[in-house]
Amino acid sequence: MFDAFIDGLFLVLQWKAFSLMLVGMSLGFCVGLLPGIGGAATLALMLPFVFKMSPAEAFAFLLGMHSVAATTGDITSVLFGVPGEAISAATVVDGYPMAKRGEAGRALGAALMSSLMGALIGAVALALAIPIVRPLVLTFGSPELFMLSLIGISCITSLSGSSTRAQIKGFAMGLLGLLVSTVGQDRQSGSLRFDMGLMYLWDGLDFVPVLVGIFAIPEIIDLAVRGTSIAGDRPPENLSRGVLEGVKDTFRHFWLVFRCSVIGVFVGILPGAGGGVAQWMAYAHAVQSAKNSKEREGFGKGDVRGVLGPGAANNSKEGGELIPTVAFGVPGSGAMAILLSGFLIMGIMPGPDMLTKHLTITFSMVWTLAIANVITVLLCLLVLDQLAKLTYVRGSLIIPFILLLVFVGSYTANGQIADLIVTLIFGLLSYVMVLFGWPRPPFVLGFVLGKVIETYLFISMNRYGFAWLAHPIVMLLTAVLVAVIAYPYVQQRRQRLARGASA
Amino acid sequence: MRKGSLLFCVFLIAVALCSIILARGWAFKAALFPLSVSVPLLVLATIQLLVVIFGKPETSGSAEMDVDFSTDVAPDEVRRRVLGIFAWIVAFIALVYLLGFPSTVPLFIFLYLKFQSAVSWLSSVIAAAITWACFHMLFQSLVHIQFEAGAIQTWLGM
Repeated sequence: MFDAFIDGLFLVLQWKAFSLMLVGMSLGFCVGLLPGIGGAATLALMLPFVFKMSPAEAFAFLLGMHSVAATTGDITSVLFGVPGEAISAATVVDGYPMAKRGEAGRALGAALMSSLMGALIGAVALALAIPIVRPLVLTFGSPELFMLSLIGISCITSLSGSSTRAQIKGFAMGLLGLLVSTVGQDRQSGSLRFDMGLMYLWDGLDFVPVLVGIFAIPEIIDLAVRGTSIAGDRPPENLSRGVLEGVKDTFRHFWLVFRCSVIGVFVGILPGAGGGVAQWMAYAHAVQSAKNSKEREGFGKGDVRGVLGPGAANNSKEGGELIPTVAFGVPGSGAMAILLSGFLIMGIMPGPDMLTKHLTITFSMVWTLAIANVITVLLCLLVLDQLAKLTYVRGSLIIPFILLLVFVGSYTANGQIADLIVTLIFGLLSYVMVLFGWPRPPFVLGFVLGKVIETYLFISMNRYGFAWLAHPIVMLLTAVLVAVIAYPYVQQRRQRLARGASA
Repeated sequence: MRKGSLLFCVFLIAVALCSIILARGWAFKAALFPLSVSVPLLVLATIQLLVVIFGKPETSGSAEMDVDFSTDVAPDEVRRRVLGIFAWIVAFIALVYLLGFPSTVPLFIFLYLKFQSAVSWLSSVIAAAITWACFHMLFQSLVHIQFEAGAIQTWLGM
């Protein structure tokens, strides 16, 4: 086993594999920065180029590209409030307010260092988990995945604020998100829902135009209204010190980063959940970790922990997603399904052989994840100073370029003008939501999880009737669900009692 | 603020009611999930509406877990600037529809920089040209994204 581990490293360090990994990383870097063009789409585009490569070279190229996209996706989220990837949306919530406060360097340092920690933890999880993960994946059927999705949606309690009014608004927004996710053809009966007679809506609303509209348009409008740079009229921060502070923040809150990475790995292992869920669960966990209401107040307004949690989870889920893909040939996401075709092109069958005959290649993937992220983060840290200076450029000079990024990104979802209109509509809805104090994160969580919840509910009902409710893991997950919902209330009550006792 | 919150609650109630009415015409399997989401949405939006009408005014306008908009610009000026940027966004989409993405990109960058940002003619032209070159290299040559032709090109048979 140890020999295979070391041989895996040497496979990646061979000049050809290493060069191809660097090429893949460069592509992934650009793709991560551009909103809309996801890592999965680029994997599909690059797949034809791997035919003449050896397996180690092909995986160094493809994985190097894919893992880096998740890391650099956080950069535009922090600098402009435009999610570079759909899985980087949660970073906007606290990263962009930090940039507006003149702390772009710190936010970027924190995002990148937590991404690196997440990627390394994901890689270690991949190395350790392959032999033991089989029972876990096999015991998670659709009822368990449905319950897990419910746990994801229950994070709304943490994403809405502490007051009763905030909770009502949060749940209403979560429900609106769930409702929007039902647009399009129903997978169970084939009926068209809320299609308004438009063929465009038959497939439902794509994540990218909606998420980009929700997060980017209100920020662009606010930037135009302020008439200043993103960082306002504040004196420029000492960027190097800011970046260093962000790096230190990662280690100051190391256990939070670690826990969020574990959440990312776990969600990544489970097929169908994906990075969209992992980042919000991690964000909700970061909010829950606040010890009191005063600490919670900072979230959404530029708390570095709101950047660290999603940053770590986004990258650790890459390692998690690879576990079922490599071990059983069960892809955890669209990107992994494309990577699976890479396996078949190479003539490698995922499954037990990956743990015996091709163990060296499996470990070369672990090393690729780790090395690609270390190189990217180190390179990014060197240029962050220059990137963060963009937040001090006059807003009116930067707005047309951000608009261009936003709309080209959303257009790539379906290649139709309708994508741009969807972005505009959800951008306006989001602007009104922010204006009148309705939280956006619960809406996004509902929208991301809606299809997953409905699909798993119907499969569970069709397969087991109501008997699935008595499955042991379902009952265990129900207890976790109750705990997640009750935790913020218990925490508040405890604080009230403590305040009463001290007064 | 109160009027806006009221209108937003009414909007949510209208959305929930519409979806309940529409869902009644669908097959049971298709209607179950939207109905089980719309009904609680209707209830929560109605409660919030009553809270806005009869409850104490909220101390802060912003959501607890979300960003704040800046408040140091006069309301009239805010309205003017919001309408301004909204007009630019709509113009961008209209240009994409009429001319297609490849022609809109340099034109929009030039128009915005020249007329909104008051940048000199030369700098605006150079910025537009560089943006077009980057756009062409990245999206058309490297990633091969197929951009629809604009309505004008289609009409002219180009």
